[in-house]
Amino acid sequence: DAHSKRVESRRLLEEAQNDAAQGDNNDNKNYAEFDIAKILIDEEEGEKEKPDPNKPYSLGPKISDWDQQISEWLKTNPDFPNFIGPNKPRVLLVTGSSPKPCENPVGDHYLLKSIKNKIDYCRKLLLSHPEIEFLWWMDSDAMFTDMAYELPWERYKDFNMVMHGWNEMVYNDKNWIGLNTGSFLLRNCQWSLDLLDAWAPMGPKGKVREEAGKILTRELKDRPVFEADDQSAIVYLLVKERAKWGEKVYLENAYYLHGYWGILVDRYEEMIENYHPGLGDHRWPLVTHFVGCKPCGKFGDYSVERCLRQMDRAFNFGDNQILQMYGFTHKSLASRRVKRVRNETGNPLEVKDEFGLLHPSFKAVKVSASS
Amino acid sequence: MGQDNFAPQKRSSTGGAGGLPTIRNEAGAGGRNRGFPSMPRGRQMHKTFNNIKITILCGFVTILVLRGTIGVGNLGSSEAEAINQNLIEETNRILAEIRSDSDPTDPDESPETELNPNVTYTLGPKITDWDQQRKVWLSKNPEFPNFVNGKARILLVTGSPPNPCDNAIGDHYLLKAIKNKIDYCRLHGIEIVYNMAHLDKELAGYWAKLPLIRRLMLSHPELEWIWWMDSDAFFTDMVFEIPLYKYEKYNLVIHGYPDLLFEQKSWIALNTGSFLFRNCQWSLDLLDAWAPMGPKGPIREEAGRILTANLKGRPAFEADDQSALIYLLLSQKDQWMDKVFIENQYYLHGYWAGLVDRYEEMMEKYHPGLGDERWPFVTHFVGCKPCGSYGDYSVERCLRSMQRAFNFADNQVLKLYGFRHRGLLGPNIKRIRNETATPLEIVDQLDIRRSVHGKTESKS
Repeated sequence: DAHSKRVESRRLLEEAQNDAAQGDNNDNKNYAEFDIAKILIDEEEGEKEKPDPNKPYSLGPKISDWDQQISEWLKTNPDFPNFIGPNKPRVLLVTGSSPKPCENPVGDHYLLKSIKNKIDYCRKLLLSHPEIEFLWWMDSDAMFTDMAYELPWERYKDFNMVMHGWNEMVYNDKNWIGLNTGSFLLRNCQWSLDLLDAWAPMGPKGKVREEAGKILTRELKDRPVFEADDQSAIVYLLVKERAKWGEKVYLENAYYLHGYWGILVDRYEEMIENYHPGLGDHRWPLVTHFVGCKPCGKFGDYSVERCLRQMDRAFNFGDNQILQMYGFTHKSLASRRVKRVRNETGNPLEVKDEFGLLHPSFKAVKVSASS
Repeated sequence: MGQDNFAPQKRSSTGGAGGLPTIRNEAGAGGRNRGFPSMPRGRQMHKTFNNIKITILCGFVTILVLRGTIGVGNLGSSEAEAINQNLIEETNRILAEIRSDSDPTDPDESPETELNPNVTYTLGPKITDWDQQRKVWLSKNPEFPNFVNGKARILLVTGSPPNPCDNAIGDHYLLKAIKNKIDYCRLHGIEIVYNMAHLDKELAGYWAKLPLIRRLMLSHPELEWIWWMDSDAFFTDMVFEIPLYKYEKYNLVIHGYPDLLFEQKSWIALNTGSFLFRNCQWSLDLLDAWAPMGPKGPIREEAGRILTANLKGRPAFEADDQSALIYLLLSQKDQWMDKVFIENQYYLHGYWAGLVDRYEEMMEKYHPGLGDERWPFVTHFVGCKPCGSYGDYSVERCLRSMQRAFNFADNQVLKLYGFRHRGLLGPNIKRIRNETATPLEIVDQLDIRRSVHGKTESKS
């Protein structure tokens, strides 16, 4: 009952105070001296799933009627529509990072991309969320730098996958950086499941990935020697099987669905001076993507330091657009401190924020008859 | 809409000079500084000296750059280019450091930090008709209603200091904590604001939530509730939903114990690590009454002494927001308490020490959705302070427990996808369900979003 609960809680509180007073067996209260590796160990070792090397890799049981499964599910679940507005599909942003704290860099640290298993995540999420119309994968080293830009959803109504890139660079040049898989859209449909199935085979760690890497280096322009990565793999797939996939893949370059940081970060002040959010392109990039930067790296490496400083600037550049909603801005793109740019008023609702982000039309809820 | 150049977009490489961006780094492109406060004299001299340094460096770099472009025999030599590149980058680093006058780790450098104690501090111009203003706005903006799908619109507000933690491990647990909150809020249709700015210099530290809450209320009339949650609090029941119907007549919902408050006057009778404020005039008034003990300096110090003298068990230190609120509610009981709901039927805030060792027992006997001591809604790591250098408890105990809470919660999210963590400590996961060709049968059973949606429908 309530009384005994209270007694129990009071006891806990007192225990806690004693705890703090006496100190524990392991008395160290200093975070600097502690090695986290002591803690992050798996107790249940158990059998790790070892895939049969003779079986070709597959993401899961073959499904061939996914469009129909989705369609029926949506009919029986009208409260979870796949479109939440006339031109607004339901989108799930997916991103991730390593479960362990950052370690010191090693030479092959640049190959960390392979750990993401983004293809597996995408398939699993598509199948678990029929209400999602588009999955939007975004690398953890990509940042939003245009808070006002809304994707042109109607442009993609006949396509199932959208990546930043150029048709010529992919199909003509076979360049391994003709597109970028750090930020892309995938529609929830049968076609996408089939694509993921075709994309995955170069992925499995070990011999498969090594060998695949060699093929990719041979077949694609300018690709260095290293194991297979998901980006090269999809360039290769599109080139080899253009007739099968090309028609439903939109290579977008009218705005920066992915924007390479090297050509953007030094221009932020110029952008602030000349342009405004909502453009999404070279004038005000939607996404600034820190490819090649390894934030887990140690200090003393200048290129890493440049990365960190620029990431701070990109972060502040984006954050300023949020802060201005509330009347603040960073003191400079390098500073973590903020300053007021709009005074408080007794009539806060008469204040409009400059870019209309407080109550933008793309957040509007459909007005229904019942309240 | 323009076309951008076919600039080399190196995605990744095997390191070395080839991995560096090939875009020319213009000397001095360290970023303009804007809006720095004016400096006292000593700093002016320092600045002049810096200016001289900058001039010399700029000259040096200009020469370097010219050599690089015009220099005989150096064109196209990749080794020289790499060295140049390094030098240029090093120089820029130095320039940037010099230019960025303010050291982000410095305490506030402007001299007028401390308030005149005779002038009462205010959070902003007094507003007296907020309920009316809000009502009018809502009627004019039906596409931003305060109830969506029958549920009151809630905003979860949390945050952390703008600087990196003292140790990397602190930042790692901030990441785990925000991922945990993102997961809960995604499942329950709640928006999140993560704040890393000090909106008001006076009210820094734990007091920073006051100006933030006020600002968000006033900017977002469509919000019915603002839910503040500390960065060291984790959701551990992913299914439980706050029973808002209990609070129709209240404006502040906070975890605590009435007897600890009224009889004992204990400084931990309530917990301000996780609480809800209704967006209304009453809340603005409470925030105004709460703030005066907050301003840094002699005001906060003196207030701390008053609080220690009046609240049971409180150690001597400057005023904190929790003690101040307790003191306020005690001394102005009649004015406020009729609208304050002291909740302890579930763990809106759950003190970690009594909970974390029982997770295995909970998994064995109970299930998510209970929110109370059988399956705590929130596990709150008061006193651990992993972002700082020292905590009140053993580091090993704190980190181990935080990791367990994280995994305990993450298991509830992973369940829909057919996985769980191998144990409560390690990062690895294992499959608990085979893949199938008809995944939607599982979705219907397991998706938390569907089960909570069903519940609220029937209530309306």
